[in-house]
Order: sequence, then structure tokens, then C-alpha cells
Amino acid sequence: MTIRSNIKANQSTRMNVLTPEQCQELVLAAEEAMWRTGTNFHDEESLEIMKKAGCWVDGERVRVPAHIFEQALKTCQKHIVLCNSRTGARELFVEGNNSYFGSGPCTPFTRNPFTEERHRATRQSVGWATKVLDALPNIDYAMSLGIVQDVPLLISDRHEFEQQILHTDKPIITVCVDQWGQADCIKMAEIVAGGEEELRKNPFICLYAEPISPGVHCREAAQKLVMGAKKDLPTIYTPCIMAGGTAPATLAGVMVQGLCESLSGLVLSQCTREGAPFIMGGVYTILDMATTIFSYGAPELSLLLAALADVAHYLEIPMFGTAGCTDSCIIDEQAGIEAAISVAMTNMSGANLNHDIGYAEQGATSNLDLVVICDEVLGMARRLTNGIRVNEETLALDVIEDVGPGGNFADEDHTEEHIEENYMPKLINRAAREIWENAGGKTLTQVANEKVRDIINHHEPEPLPKDLAAKIRDIVENAVGHMPGED
Amino acid sequence: MATIEDLSKYVIKGNVAKTKKLTQALIDEGAAPLEIINQGLIAGMNVVGVRFKNGEMFVPEVMVAAKAMSQGIEMVEPLIVEGEMPSAGKVLLGTVKGDLHDIGKNLVGIMLESSGYTVIDIGIDKAPEAFIEAIKEHQPQIMGMSALLTTTMLHMKDTIELMKEEGLGNVKAIVGGAPISQDFADEVGADGFAPDAASAVDLCNSLLS
Repeated sequence: MTIRSNIKANQSTRMNVLTPEQCQELVLAAEEAMWRTGTNFHDEESLEIMKKAGCWVDGERVRVPAHIFEQALKTCQKHIVLCNSRTGARELFVEGNNSYFGSGPCTPFTRNPFTEERHRATRQSVGWATKVLDALPNIDYAMSLGIVQDVPLLISDRHEFEQQILHTDKPIITVCVDQWGQADCIKMAEIVAGGEEELRKNPFICLYAEPISPGVHCREAAQKLVMGAKKDLPTIYTPCIMAGGTAPATLAGVMVQGLCESLSGLVLSQCTREGAPFIMGGVYTILDMATTIFSYGAPELSLLLAALADVAHYLEIPMFGTAGCTDSCIIDEQAGIEAAISVAMTNMSGANLNHDIGYAEQGATSNLDLVVICDEVLGMARRLTNGIRVNEETLALDVIEDVGPGGNFADEDHTEEHIEENYMPKLINRAAREIWENAGGKTLTQVANEKVRDIINHHEPEPLPKDLAAKIRDIVENAVGHMPGED
Repeated sequence: MATIEDLSKYVIKGNVAKTKKLTQALIDEGAAPLEIINQGLIAGMNVVGVRFKNGEMFVPEVMVAAKAMSQGIEMVEPLIVEGEMPSAGKVLLGTVKGDLHDIGKNLVGIMLESSGYTVIDIGIDKAPEAFIEAIKEHQPQIMGMSALLTTTMLHMKDTIELMKEEGLGNVKAIVGGAPISQDFADEVGADGFAPDAASAVDLCNSLLS
């Protein structure tokens, strides 16, 4: 018998971009920027809240003293759980080194998986997308993959939410057009959960807002954040910044700019209501200097967000990351490379809740073929992070002795008992050439597209009870839009 | 002896100090002011434009070249008879009401200025009335509106309609931003749409040709 003593073992493959000392340096720099430069809040209520809490308010500019930020860091909830909308089962533990993945929101366009046409997203396209997300085993939650645009645009978020809640029981991250839209979506979620208290106890929705970089919190974003805190619902605050455009060109400078914005949001959230569940978000990338686009496929995106995961772990707060997306206009080799690198790297970094699976064309168009491909990539990525278990059973010395030189392990009981240790692909082709040719000689994208069509045609999500669906419909039908810039 | 060709080279290299020094030398030597601008400064910038399109130069290099060019032009400008100052045209830019996003608009402005346009940037969150007032004041040939959101882009139509009501239909209206498409531009009655900052320059060139 092997006696093991004082052993350190890796439960998972690990990756760090930054040391704790470097994380501290970045956080302290962000604290300095929050104080020296500050950020602008275009919202009266937020200015009042922050002033009352002791922040220095000069017009729209808010400077956060370090002790107020440090207090906010102490009070914010470190343990956030997202639940199943039908059963209330507690499913996603958005904390520690847990990594969950899902789609992205708000693409103006989508690609129809049947006609291959690129068109503006519709009620139907969001319904289809949600069905696909619901069916895929490695996708943990749903974002809409499109702004519904075949309805009045000012209330598109209510239609989006309706399509989502009808087609999945997985947690939903809802991105609303403004505070009024968010209020309606919360109302709908409360109906499904069985009341305000029930939703708060077992939240299946997560709210979302983003500042405008550099350093501007528009009214809608600030109001959504304040509402999330008052309602005690998990709220993501995610700067979308680009090196050399809305942030310094240096990646450390990007980190400081992004942290300054999201942590100012944390301060607003905690000053509104201590203990409010807050998730630090980020889409940190580069401004591509040849095309002037916000890149969703740059290696810097994955590098920056893995670094942000290090900072989130250092601060012990949940974070929202980005992966599974591409700048490519179609799902080709480029899309596969960019999506796979970002998924694998993000998963290894231990970022908690990761979005934008299915984004093509720099985030302008959603693509369900890519979602299905990423589901497979996630299976592979998770195998990578499962690492290698080393113990008496897995060292398999007895089997090596039994089989001996020139033997065969394929028919050993030990092989059968441990077959699930290794990943079995669902889409990836490993067949011999003749077999692959006889099956049609298809590319991965073709196989993925067939799967998308099959899910849309045949998958049946857990239905929402009819009386609840009717109440949701009622809210959608009575929704009132607010023109931006007008009260 | 320094030549006008050398001036173009300094602009292409983005060497602000040498561009200014050589511009002054050429002025002192009595070179024709319009020649300094057209064959030296703008000629250099035209090369930069071509190289950017070919992927041989990048945004920061274009910006520093544009800075060299404009500082050279500033030195020559007082010597030019009023009305003879070359300009590709005047473009007024702004982000629509309710929208505070402006990086895209700013990049369009930089690209247009680099191509010899005079750019008036009225900023963010601008109501249709603010666009009209600015058009009346600055009298541009082109008015460009930017929006990042599907909600705020609705203000574009109001602005174009108000322009027509106010008798400003001769000013070309162009639109851009992540949710904008050619179809949308047609729907709101815009004269043009460009998918990125560099192609906005081509669009303006074609609208004014």
C-alpha cells in the first residue's frame, strides 16, 4: 500500500496571467483612478446616492474615496446562485473558480439556419436560439442572441424575454433597453417564480448593464444597476472597452480603465443597498488599428479576460467573462480558431459566467451553427480543465502487470470502468476516411447546422404553464416604450 | 535643398517637427502656398490614405500623419487668399439624442479630416433640433449621424424629416453605427450609409463628386 503524506495535487488544470501581487497593483491603480479621475454619472438618483454615501460629487463627476470602495467590496455578496426557472433548483454557483458558459445578447442581426440569410433578429429567431441553447448540454444559461426587431423597438426587450422564458428553463440573463423595460422583465420573472420573495430567494434571472467607456455611466445603465440593487437581484456591470480607442493601448492600462468603471458600478450598487449581488463584468479587447473594429477574436480579448478572472479571484467577487465569439463574418476556420482559443482559455482561467457564445461578425450577427460548435468545444475545454487524477487506482500498476508486454488493454475491466474519464465527442469527426466520405463527407459547420435544424424542428423545452404564459403575454402587450433621451 | 517631395515624405512618416520645419523653409524660399499644401502636405496624406486601405498603415500612424499635415496647413493658411483654401468639403457629425456613444463617430471624424475634409463635431446626445441649428450655422455639404442602439437609431428619421421641413434637403444625410444597415438608411431617407470609418470617406467623396 502506498502511503501518501503532505501531498499537493491539482484538481484541475490551472492558468494564471497575473500573480496576486500584480492583481493588487491593478486594483490599487483602479482605486487611484476612481479617486483622481473619477467617472461621470448621468443620473440624478445615482449622484444623490453616491453623494450621501460620502463620494465626492462635482456636477456629473463622481470621485470615490478608497475607503468607500473597500467597504463596498466587503459588503457585496460573494455567493451568487442562479436557478432553474421552472423548478427553482439551484444550478449555477457563480463564484470561486466555477466556470459557466452561455450565449451573448443584443446582436442586431442573425443568420437564419435554414435559409442562410442574414437578417435583423426577430421573435422567431430569438425563440429558435433559446431552444438551441436549451437543448445543448454544455450551455449553462441563455442570453437572447438577438434584438427582436419585428416589434416596436422601444419594447423589444419584453418580447425577447417572453421568447426566452417560453423556450428554456435554464437561467436567463436579460439585457433590457432601459429601466422601464427592466422593471417589466423583473415583473415577468416574479410571475414565473411565484412572487417577489421567491425570485429573490431562487433567482433565475440575472440583470445586465454596461457603462460607456471611457468612464461614463449613462442614465439607463445607472438606473438598471440601482434597480437591481433595490430588488436584490444579481446584476452584471460590464465595461466593453478597447485598447487604443476607449482605453490606453497598454493592456495594464485597459485593466485599470475597465476596473475603474466596473468597480465604480460596484460602489453605486452597494451604496444603494448593502449586500446587493453584483457581478463584475468585462469585454476587454483591442480596437483593431487596421479596420477600426471592436475585436471579438483578438488574442488580447482572452488574455485580458483571463487576467480579469485573476483579479476577480483576488477580490473574491463573481465575474462575467467573454468567449466563444469571432470577428469572422461566416462560420469558417477563423471562427473555429477564435472561438476555441477563447473558450479553452477562459475555462482554464476560472472566470465564472461567460457570455457571447454564438457571436460572429464582430458581435453584429448571431450564428447558431457556432453555438453548436462551441458546445462541443466546451466539452473538450472542460476535459482539459478536468486534468489528470493521480492515485493508486488511476496509476493502474496491477493492470499494467496483468496485461504485460505485448498485451491489450481494450478488453480489460479497468478500461471499461474508466472509459468516462475521457471525452467522447459529439460532432468532431474521428472516423476513417471511407466512413466519413460515406456519411456525406461533411465539414464540422455542416454537421453543426444539421444539428441546429434538428433541435429547432424536434426539441421540446420544458413548457411554461399556460396561465403563467398568459400573464407574461399580458405584460408584453401592455408594455409602454420610452423614447431615449425623453422622460 | 529641401523639396516639396520631402515634405510629403515627412507627412507620410508622421514627423510633425520636420514637417513644420520644412514647411517654414519652403515658405521662406518663396514657394507658392497652394503648392506647399496640394503637392506637399495633402499629397503626402493621400499616400497615407492609400497605404491605410492596403493594410500597410494603421490608425495611430494615420492620425500622426494627419497631425503633421494639419500643423503644416496651419502655417501656410494665413498666406492664402480667402476662398482659395483647398478643402474636400465640410461634414457635420453628431451622435443622436439619448445616445452617449461616440468612439465610432470620432473615428469617422479623424478619417475625414485626414482626407482633407473640414469636420464639425457637435458631440453626443443631440436632438434633431440641435442638428438643424448646427447645419444652419455651419452650412456643411454633408451631415452624419451616429447611433449604437436600436432604440436611439429611431431618432435618425426624425432628424432627416426635420431637415426637409426646414428646407435643408440639399444637405446630404449619412448614417452609421453598429445597428445601422443600408436597408435602414434607405428606410429613414438617408443619402448614404458606411459600415466603417474608412468607407465613410469613400461615401463622402462619392456624394460630393
